[in-house]
Amino acid sequence: MDCIGKNKKNLEKGSKLHVVYGDVTLGVHGISDLGKTFDYIWSYSHGGMESMVLDGKEWLYREPHPTFWRALTDNDRGSGFHLRSGMWMAADLFQKCSGIQIAIDQKEIPLPIAPENNRYGIEECAEQVEISFIYETITVPVTKVKVCYQVDVIGQIRVNVHYYGKKGLPELPVFGMRFQIPTKAVFYRYQGLSKETYPDRMAGGKPGIYTIKGLPITPYLVPQDCNVHMETQWLEVYRNTVKSNVKEDEKSKKELFGIRFSAIERAFAFSCIPYTAEELENATHQEELPFARRTVVSILGAVRGVGGINSWGADVEKEYHISGEQDIIFSFLIRAAKEE
Amino acid sequence: MEAEIRWLDDPEVFRVNQVAAHSDHKFYKSKRAFEQEKKENRRNEWQQSLNGKWKFRFSKNASERPKDFFQEDFDLETFGTIQVPMHIELAGFDKIHYINTMYPWEGHIFRRPAYSLEGYTPDQKSFSETEYNPVGSYLTKFDLEPELFGKRVHICFEGVEQAMYLWLNGVFIGYAEDSFTVSEFDLTPYIREKGNILAVEVHKRSTAAFLEDQDFFRFFGIFRNVTLYGIPSCHLEDVWVKPVLLEDNQTGEIGIELRCSKEEENKEFYIELSLVDTDGKVCWEKRQDFKQQINLKTEKIGQVVRWEYGNPYLYTLQITIFDLDGQEIEYIPILVGFRRLEIKDGVILLNGKRLIINGINRHEWNCSSGRCISIQDMEFDMQVLVENHINAVRTSHYPNQIPWYEMCDQNGIYVMAEVNLESHGSWQKMGVIEPSWNVPGSILQWQEAVLDRARSNFEMFKNHPSVLFWSLGNESYAGDCLVKMQSFLKEKDKSRLVHYEGVANRREYVDQISDIESRMYETPEKIEQYLNQNPKKPFLLCEYMHDMGNSLGGLGSYIRLLDRYKGYQGGFIWDFIDQAILVKDEITGQEVLRYGGDFDDRPSDYEFSGNGILFADRTEKPALQEVRYYYGLHRQK
Repeated sequence: MDCIGKNKKNLEKGSKLHVVYGDVTLGVHGISDLGKTFDYIWSYSHGGMESMVLDGKEWLYREPHPTFWRALTDNDRGSGFHLRSGMWMAADLFQKCSGIQIAIDQKEIPLPIAPENNRYGIEECAEQVEISFIYETITVPVTKVKVCYQVDVIGQIRVNVHYYGKKGLPELPVFGMRFQIPTKAVFYRYQGLSKETYPDRMAGGKPGIYTIKGLPITPYLVPQDCNVHMETQWLEVYRNTVKSNVKEDEKSKKELFGIRFSAIERAFAFSCIPYTAEELENATHQEELPFARRTVVSILGAVRGVGGINSWGADVEKEYHISGEQDIIFSFLIRAAKEE
Repeated sequence: MEAEIRWLDDPEVFRVNQVAAHSDHKFYKSKRAFEQEKKENRRNEWQQSLNGKWKFRFSKNASERPKDFFQEDFDLETFGTIQVPMHIELAGFDKIHYINTMYPWEGHIFRRPAYSLEGYTPDQKSFSETEYNPVGSYLTKFDLEPELFGKRVHICFEGVEQAMYLWLNGVFIGYAEDSFTVSEFDLTPYIREKGNILAVEVHKRSTAAFLEDQDFFRFFGIFRNVTLYGIPSCHLEDVWVKPVLLEDNQTGEIGIELRCSKEEENKEFYIELSLVDTDGKVCWEKRQDFKQQINLKTEKIGQVVRWEYGNPYLYTLQITIFDLDGQEIEYIPILVGFRRLEIKDGVILLNGKRLIINGINRHEWNCSSGRCISIQDMEFDMQVLVENHINAVRTSHYPNQIPWYEMCDQNGIYVMAEVNLESHGSWQKMGVIEPSWNVPGSILQWQEAVLDRARSNFEMFKNHPSVLFWSLGNESYAGDCLVKMQSFLKEKDKSRLVHYEGVANRREYVDQISDIESRMYETPEKIEQYLNQNPKKPFLLCEYMHDMGNSLGGLGSYIRLLDRYKGYQGGFIWDFIDQAILVKDEITGQEVLRYGGDFDDRPSDYEFSGNGILFADRTEKPALQEVRYYYGLHRQK
């Protein structure tokens, strides 16, 4: 191997990945095809991706996790959905990472925690790194989700998410990956349908590229799931703040930097709001929501309809339910946004 | 005559000394005065608004009220002030309360409607002698505008919730219930040019409360305009213009009924009528000598332009009263639309074409002022309807302010004009039908009150081409009283259909009530079931797509029924605007929207009143784009 880990300058853009086999984490570093650095760290102890630095800017607040819950809509509450499916709320909050697998250049390796990692050195390189986390749900019965990150030489991450359906599990309100971004976005832009859409309420959504300034949430009287955008090709989220105390970062405060999530074969749904499902769930009025500090991006592989026949018992139409008993598989790409 | 407090307890007393309900036509000194008023946005000189700051005192119940406050020498030292119009609760005197089907006194007071069960009569004094039934004592002093001097003077209260007594200059004038209907009184015998003292005593609840159990914030007070009208020496009291588009869909005919009054028996007048199109061309005219009652025979008038959604063409019927010197005494312009509504082969047809209702239910609402809404609010709302292909509105669940109907005429919006009647809590409890003490049901003592409500609604709005349906009310179960309302309207008005949904819960009345099979929140499957089984009546949904919070999913399943069943005529989405109240947050000082239960009001149904396609502040909900799309698919031109 001929990549120089000590000095990233020595890496040619998009040539190799520099892999750091830490005692507790796996680090992957490199330079993208656009000449920007990327630095990723996956944590064995926290069970997920702990750091995603694009061109020097951190994009993760905590490890991304599968998401199983949406703040109840009025119709969810009225139809007693929570009484049938409430265990998914706990599953959303508390997750156990029960397994980690790593493959380097498509070859699986033993988990490189100490002392196994002593066999590696300073200048470790690869063309592809793949790390998978198996999450066990705290539902009864238990099921698993496998989240696999594949990093290629230009730093693009392909995320493959696989929910394993299990007989006896109730319907899901939503299934996807939730990313908590450390600071509040300035705006986001996406190619998809206009305004907030759901599987059973998207006929009026006009396809196009839309920019949403600030990080608004739809101000329903009682805060509830909102701002889902169906049929999305890509989403870019832009910020101009970081949490780092370093003064140089202060200087660059007005500069915008972005991240891009894009669909692979199938369009995805997403929401990009300042709150988690649980934060929304906990408020009975808009003004009870905390100050918007972070950006919560949920990339969704399945969304339950909102319904509308009535708000006191009628279920969402059948074709817009998400079975907990069937597998859900979806993928998407993450990389730095090119513009701005 | 003296006012009696026991009227509050008696369902058989609901109007005392009121002027009979009549058409809502406006009248002017002359055609020129009308045109000037329109052009210069001036007030009608025969009208005098009494809106403004009035003296006011709040009492917790009838026994604590200042009983003699209407007397001219009464010391008003204990009185404060209030804005008219305004809900008393929003002025801070009484608690804001939202509750859905339960009666507002649930858990606080035990009440049964008089005559509904054995042993219950007005003698229980359930409203006049009770610990909590607030009273608003209103008083204003005014001088007449010179233009009203020497004229007969009427006063119109456009909306007073829920029972009101009226005095002028110490003399009892009359009593009214029916919160959402104009209550008009003749003040002529007691009015002065200067120094009038008008006293209004408003009671929060009366037997009318059993008939006004709408799912909304429960308010009381004078919440719509109060206006004096100067009545000229000869006056058109009532007019019913009956334009019809004939079967050929090209030509029309018109019949007119007029009721006039004059001050002096021996003075003579004549009346000129002319029907004018939008270019000012006279299409038909007539001269008629004064009579108290004039019924003009139906006459053909040849080629007409139809009135319908997409082409709301309106003629003006100009009625002018002259004295024998040819002096203009009164001028009345009435908008006239030619259309024909009928049911053929189980399908409602308008102007020969199948009627499709892309409708919405609309409560009058403003998050700052409640059901006290402005012309600007109405204009805004009309714009939302027009821009989103909404072609019909149900005035859920009471007569709206008069200008709304004219806006509907002008914009081709079909109106389901609903009577102020809902007795939901009297027959449905905890979600199940339990009509042991339902009113009005078939109880004779309640019949006249509800019939009067139907009559008022009909008489007021009968000239509006936009009104296609008379709706008997909302969620009031069914019984002989509803049958009476139906037959009253059918007898009076052949040009419209009568609608009532409540008969869905009492099928034995299905042949006697409602021309339409109307349901609410029915699933698409059940609608198909009905339509596949030789339906007796055309079908529509008076409420569907409950847009509470993040909702309105599955609209497509209803819209697709339009293509598959001719007898499915569409429906009215529930509903137009979230009902929530803007207040200053006690923590942040920001303006925030609050709902039921936020005012220590219990029991409550909390956020259940937030079902609009607009948020309470009239901003658009995301779901509106879905309405715009689907309602656009069957947009009829």
